[in-house]
Amino acid sequence: MLTQREILSTLEMLKNENLDVRTVTLGVNLLDCASHDIEILKDQIHTRISHLARNLVRVCDQIGQKYGIPVVNKRIAVSPIAVVGASMSSSQMVDVARVLDAVAAEVDVDFIGGFTALVEKGIARGDRALIEALPHALANTERVCASVNVASTKAGINMDAILLMGKAIKKAADLTAKADGIACAKLCVFANIPQDIPFMAGAYLGIGEPDAVINVGVSGPGVVKNAIDRAFESDSNLDLGQISELIKKTAYKVTRVGELIGQEVANHLNIQFGVVDLSLAPTPNVGDSVGEIFQSLGLLSIGVPGTTAALALINDAVKKGGAFASSRVGGLSGAFIPVSEDLNISEAARSGHIGLEKLEAITAVCSVGLDMIALPGDTTEETIAAIMADEMAIGVINNKTTATRLIPVPGKKAGDNAYFGGLLGQSTIIPVNNGHNPNPFVRHGGLIPAPIRSLTN
Amino acid sequence: MNKVILSILGHDRPGIVAAVSKILFEQNCNIENVSQTTLQFEFAGIFIVSIPGDLSPQSLHQSLNAQMAPMGLEVHVTSLKPSAVPVSVPECESYIITTKGPDRKGLVAGISEVIARFGGNITNLQAVFKGGDDPGDNIMIYEIDVPYQIDRQALYQELRRRAKQLKLEIDIQHRNIFEAIHRI
Repeated sequence: MLTQREILSTLEMLKNENLDVRTVTLGVNLLDCASHDIEILKDQIHTRISHLARNLVRVCDQIGQKYGIPVVNKRIAVSPIAVVGASMSSSQMVDVARVLDAVAAEVDVDFIGGFTALVEKGIARGDRALIEALPHALANTERVCASVNVASTKAGINMDAILLMGKAIKKAADLTAKADGIACAKLCVFANIPQDIPFMAGAYLGIGEPDAVINVGVSGPGVVKNAIDRAFESDSNLDLGQISELIKKTAYKVTRVGELIGQEVANHLNIQFGVVDLSLAPTPNVGDSVGEIFQSLGLLSIGVPGTTAALALINDAVKKGGAFASSRVGGLSGAFIPVSEDLNISEAARSGHIGLEKLEAITAVCSVGLDMIALPGDTTEETIAAIMADEMAIGVINNKTTATRLIPVPGKKAGDNAYFGGLLGQSTIIPVNNGHNPNPFVRHGGLIPAPIRSLTN
Repeated sequence: MNKVILSILGHDRPGIVAAVSKILFEQNCNIENVSQTTLQFEFAGIFIVSIPGDLSPQSLHQSLNAQMAPMGLEVHVTSLKPSAVPVSVPECESYIITTKGPDRKGLVAGISEVIARFGGNITNLQAVFKGGDDPGDNIMIYEIDVPYQIDRQALYQELRRRAKQLKLEIDIQHRNIFEAIHRI
C-alpha cells in the first residue's frame, strides 16, 4: 500500500516542479562501418543507425506514458567520427555529417552527437580532417553535435589543437553569423571527456563501449529548488549540513526516475543499459533553473560571493544522492551552468552579477565548464584559444572533466543580446578581458605536459 | 475447524481490539488475519477467525454482541465457505489513478464504473473530500490491478474522458514509479 504522501509528492514533482527524464540517448557503435570508400561508409552509417534507432522514440514515449513522466528528448551518440572516418578528407567528413543529420531526422531524434575527435596527445590524419570540416559541417546541418577532446590529466594539454579549435570556432560563427553564430552552440571542447555523456553537445560513444547502449540524463533543478524552499518555510534555522542532506535525498528521488525508465527502455529495445548521468540540467522554462537554487540558498544571484561554496555543496550532494540511486553513474554528473539555457543565469550575466572570471572559477567545483557563453564578435581566435586553455588547465590539474562551449557572436559586442532559440535559449554577451588583442602565449603551441599527479602507478 | 469473517463497526475508542480478541481467546478461536481502518473517528475492523468445531457462528455472535453493544459497536459474523472451484486470477499490473477537483456527487461512482467496465480491480482506495472548490481538498487515489490483456490505451482514454466530464484532473501511472522514488 502506498501512502498518500508518496503519491501526492511524486505528482507534485512531475506537474509543478519540472521533473522529467531530460534525455534518453542511444549510443551506436560505428567502428565496424569504417571504409576507405566514402559511399560505403555513408551507406553503412545510415543503415546501422536507422536500424538500431527505429523504435527509440516510440518506446521512450510509451514508457514515459506508462509512468506519467515525459522523456523530453531522444538522442543518438555515435563512435568518434574522426576514428570511423579516419581515412576521409575534410570535405568527405562534411558529407558524413550530412548523413548523420539526415538519419537523425529520419528516426526523429533532435540531436546526434559523435562528430568527435580525441586529440589530447596529438592530431592524427582523421582528426585533422574532422577539425577542418567542423565549421561547414556544423553550419550546414541542424542536428549534428561535435566535440573535441584537447586535453587529459594523463596526456597533458594539446595547445596546437586548441589553436586549431579557436580558428574553427571563429569560422563556424562567421558561417552562421545571421543566427548569432549558432553553429558554435553545437560544438564543445573538452578536457577528460567522459565516454558516455547522454547530454549534448558532448555526447559520443567512447571506444571501449559495446555495439549499442542506452544512457539516461535526468534533471530536476526545479525539484531541488522547491525542496529547499519548502524546508526553509517549515524551519528557517536549517544549517548548510542539513540543506546538503536534503539536496542529497532529493537527488536520490530524481535519479531513481532515470534509473527506472532507462532500464525499462533498454529492456524493451533489447539494448544494454549504460549509465545515468546525474547532472542538474536547466532549460529556459520557468521553474527549471539551476540559478534559482542559489537564490533559494540565500544568495542574491548566482555570481555573488558565496557562489563557489554553494555550488560545491550542491554538486557534491547531488552526486551522493544520485550515486546511491543508480546501478551505474556516468557522464558528467554535476551541475550545469549554461549561461544562455537558464533564464536566471542569463539574467545574472545581464545584470553583471556573473562574468567570465567567476564562471571559470566555479568550474573548479562543478563538472561542466564554460557553457553556452556568448562572447563579443571581435574576440580574436587566439583569445578564444586562451580561454579554452585556461579551462582545460582546471580540468587537467584537478583530474576532472571541464569543457567550453563558446560562441563569439559576429557583429555584436558586450552588452548586446544573442538569441539562439529553443532549448539553447538566449543571453547577454559578456565582456572578455583583453579579448580583441593578440595572445603570443598561446601562439607558442606545443603540448603542455601532463601534471605529476598523473603518475599514479 | 471452521472459519468465519467478523466485522466490527462503530465509534473509535481505545480498547476495541482488546475486547474482541479477549472474547475470541476465551472461546478458543484463532485469529488468522486482521485489518482495521478509521475514517472520521469511526472504526471498522475485519477479522478472519478459525473457530472450534463445537462453536457455531451464531453463538460466537451472541458472545461478541454482549460485550460490543454496550460499547456502542455493531458486530457481524458470517461463515467463510471455501470456494468449490479455485478462482483463477489473470496476470495483472498495478496502476495508480489519482484525481483532484471540486467536490460533487458521483465522483467515486464515475471513476469506479470505468475501472469495473474494463475489468480492473481496486485493491486500495483512499479518498478525502473536504468539500469546496479547492482541487487539493478533494483527492481520490485508486490502486488498481489491470489484467495484462486489457487495452491500456483504451482504458486511459476512457478514464480521461470520464474525468473531463466530472471536471477532475486525473493522473494514471504504473505503481513502480512511486516505489522507485520513495522506497529503497
